[in-house]
Amino acid sequence: MDETKKQDQTSTHKIGIYLWIWGLLFVLSFCSYMVDWFQFQGLLRWSLILIFMFLKAALIMMFFMHLFWERYAIVNVLLWPMTAIACFVGLMVAEGKYTLFSRLFYFFVGGQ
Amino acid sequence: MSEDFNDNKTIQAQSSETISGGGAGVTPDTDYVRPAEVADQDLYHGHSFITKWVFCQDAKVIGVQYFLLATFTGIIGLILSWLMRLQLGFPGAAGFMTAEHYYQFVTMHGMIMVVYFLTALFLGGFGNYLIPLMTGARDMVFPYVNMVSFWMFFIAVGVLLASFFVPGGPTGSGWTLYPPQAILEGTPGSGMGIILMCVSLILFVAGFTMGGLNYLITVLQARTRGMTLMRMPLTVWGIFTATVLAMLAFPALLVSAIMMSLDRILGTSFFMPTILKAGEMLEYGGGSPILFQHLFWFFGHPEVYIVALPAFGIISDLISVHSRKNIFGYRMMVWAIVVIGALSFFVWAHHMYVSGMHPWFGFFFATTTLIIAVPTALKVYNWILTLWRGNIRMNTVMLWCLGFIVTFVNGGITGIFLGNVIVDVPLSDTYFVVAHFHMVMGIAPLMVIMGAVYHWFPLVAGRMLSEKLGKLHFWFTFLGAYSIYFPMHYLGFIGVPRRYFEMYDSPYVTSAVGVNEFISTAAFLVGAAQFILIYNIVVSLRIGKPAGKNPWKANSLEWLTPTVPPEHGNWGDKQPVVHRWPYDYSVPGAKEDFIPQTTPPSEVVDTEVEKT
Amino acid sequence: MSDPKIEGYEFKPGYKGMARDTASDQTMFKGVHWGKAMMWIFLLSDTFIFSCFLISYMKGRGSTTVEWPNPSEVFALHVGGVPVPLLLIAIMTFVLITSSGTMALAVKYGYERNRKMCGWLILATALGGLTFVGMQAFEWSKLIHEGVRPWTNPFGAPQFGSFFFMITGFHGTHVSIGVIFLSIYAYKTFAGHYDEGKRGWFTSMKGNYVEIEILGLYWHFVDLVWVFIFAFFYLW
Repeated sequence: MDETKKQDQTSTHKIGIYLWIWGLLFVLSFCSYMVDWFQFQGLLRWSLILIFMFLKAALIMMFFMHLFWERYAIVNVLLWPMTAIACFVGLMVAEGKYTLFSRLFYFFVGGQ
Repeated sequence: MSEDFNDNKTIQAQSSETISGGGAGVTPDTDYVRPAEVADQDLYHGHSFITKWVFCQDAKVIGVQYFLLATFTGIIGLILSWLMRLQLGFPGAAGFMTAEHYYQFVTMHGMIMVVYFLTALFLGGFGNYLIPLMTGARDMVFPYVNMVSFWMFFIAVGVLLASFFVPGGPTGSGWTLYPPQAILEGTPGSGMGIILMCVSLILFVAGFTMGGLNYLITVLQARTRGMTLMRMPLTVWGIFTATVLAMLAFPALLVSAIMMSLDRILGTSFFMPTILKAGEMLEYGGGSPILFQHLFWFFGHPEVYIVALPAFGIISDLISVHSRKNIFGYRMMVWAIVVIGALSFFVWAHHMYVSGMHPWFGFFFATTTLIIAVPTALKVYNWILTLWRGNIRMNTVMLWCLGFIVTFVNGGITGIFLGNVIVDVPLSDTYFVVAHFHMVMGIAPLMVIMGAVYHWFPLVAGRMLSEKLGKLHFWFTFLGAYSIYFPMHYLGFIGVPRRYFEMYDSPYVTSAVGVNEFISTAAFLVGAAQFILIYNIVVSLRIGKPAGKNPWKANSLEWLTPTVPPEHGNWGDKQPVVHRWPYDYSVPGAKEDFIPQTTPPSEVVDTEVEKT
Repeated sequence: MSDPKIEGYEFKPGYKGMARDTASDQTMFKGVHWGKAMMWIFLLSDTFIFSCFLISYMKGRGSTTVEWPNPSEVFALHVGGVPVPLLLIAIMTFVLITSSGTMALAVKYGYERNRKMCGWLILATALGGLTFVGMQAFEWSKLIHEGVRPWTNPFGAPQFGSFFFMITGFHGTHVSIGVIFLSIYAYKTFAGHYDEGKRGWFTSMKGNYVEIEILGLYWHFVDLVWVFIFAFFYLW
């Protein structure tokens, strides 16, 4: 279970970096909350929600979960499978729209 | 590479440069292999009967446990198939069998065979036994969790079989468990049956996640010195890629099982649309049955590759050992396995062409399905090219390999028909589909399992299986299985629907009856023939010829252990050091027709070995 | 932070380094403890689980003909008669991010073998998690009181309640499991098990500070899922 032949090899970061990222996360959370407070609607709302969400996720993954300093092998192994999820998301958005369309068409318009 | 082959120089010391990446240029030490990165693994050794044979952390014991439990479950699935064939071939012959019973048998047969037999056997059985041995590790990286994973599988099987005994019996919705019918009265087992099925699947996924983590990290992080990824036998590549698929596909099954259970137990409407039951409006509304289908097949398609990829890997190794020839195009075989695995996540809705999904999806999925056929075909060509001009040993193992190639090509080609949206419309839900998936997922992987059993039994048990009985077993199984599934394609062409209890008064009555009788008879004979294998195993364990070390003269590490069968920790004092790939068979100039992976370059100075 | 020192192996940066690491013998993730690698792959699998839940939610919400309830109103807290939209959620987000920060610091102090700081920070994380679960339970009880059930609700589409309880339920379960492990690890830290390398009760494996980093990864994952749930369920 020893990581390497020498036990205490992992060097650590200064505390400052954690506090900076922490602060940024609070700022971004506040910004996300403001999206709702100001009641933005439509495309502006959705794009702001997504941008802040991905920024927060990226900060947590890169710094708290240490990926910024890890070698590329593990970063790529973790990120490329997300393309399958992205494909699934895209297709299900389309499927949801199609389901809604067919319901509106058949229930309300009375299509045969 | 070709210039190494043509000149007469003895092998130069290239090995250190590639392995260590030192970039220091050619060193005089041809046998140098980088030192170990991590300390030797700290293993827990059991001392009581319970910790040595029951709650054992040795991956080899766990592998045998998985193998036995999966086989036991598979035999139950086989018996269910006999009951189905009895009804289909000789309607009414089984007096007790109602339509409800039939659908329950269909469902349980399917779920057992796909998930609890094939997946558990390939990943849990072969994976646990072979991965540590073939990569040179002492055991899996987390033996405790590995042990827990088997017992989770055990409980999952228990819950599944318990569904036979609850009121209403097991679910009869088909192995695909489609809502809304699966949880509505009218479908057998819509009470406790479907709930137990969902619970069993949830437990299965939890257990296989634990096991899967072990297989992946052992391959990625616990290989022995000198073992690069491109020196691993294709068996490991197949099981490894299948495990990656399992880790990423089982979540969708878990989610759909959870949501289906909630629909049933709490009355939620995830999958349940506004629905009338015998004139009465149910409380459900707003849900989407097609969402279940998407989730299920997002799991379901990678699942069939979870079954197929280990089979591809194993067959490559069996063919190369028994034709004394390196696998043709090893690098491309690896890439093909990886690409098939990756693409398998983008083809799922070819199971849904007639479901009423978004009308444009067919274009996308038919395209990706055709693309995935390319690397698959590449593998078939390479197996044949491996056999070409090989020194073929026509023993039992090789017969199973040849049987695999024939049945897999047959099943694969019918898949092309079904992958085309328009052609699928008349063939969907007919026996053509049943014939296709049995050929490609039932018979072909079964040939691999049989071949693998005859191949590795000498390692696991220390004795050889009888060749005579083995060949008899092969011919009965191969010819019998072909007799079952080849005519079935014609039933599909004339439109005989699947999952029907009987044909009633339909135009098919005259033409299909004879075929169904023939198929059923063949099925019973093939089923009976499997007892030849059981007899062979039981007798050979007692009086089989002692195998000794490496009876097949193979190169891969599992045959190079200090003791046969290998003991706990696999390698004794020191883990092996690997110098080459596992396919140095019939190398020109070598003393023997095989060069094991642990043989350093200095011991083969007069050969013209390509650097691997 | 530099790459670990491995005898006989020369590290290259970027994609060249990734190719070299993948092509090398023994390990693909250089210097990564097997437990850490296992946790990462488990989290990848868990990401797929939550993604499937959120995709189902999105598809369900996108196809409903009945109006979807307005989250700002449903999740508002009334402070002195004034409805403040998403107040409870904002506090919960604050608490979880704080606990993520304390966890990251705990990992740092663990590797520096500062037993006391590490132990207290793990406890602080556990406290944050417990607070989060408590607030989630409060939110559940408030909504149940207002008539929200898994099968129906007075605000709009019936799927609202089902997805809400299912997704937040799964997330809350993950947090609770995390709190239990955090408590156990806080005890083990204070008792010096990681300093001495004491063998664990279940697995008989020697203790090591890398276990705290591994638990930290799990905890940050739980926070990450919350970021997505917050955005997709509460804000959208």
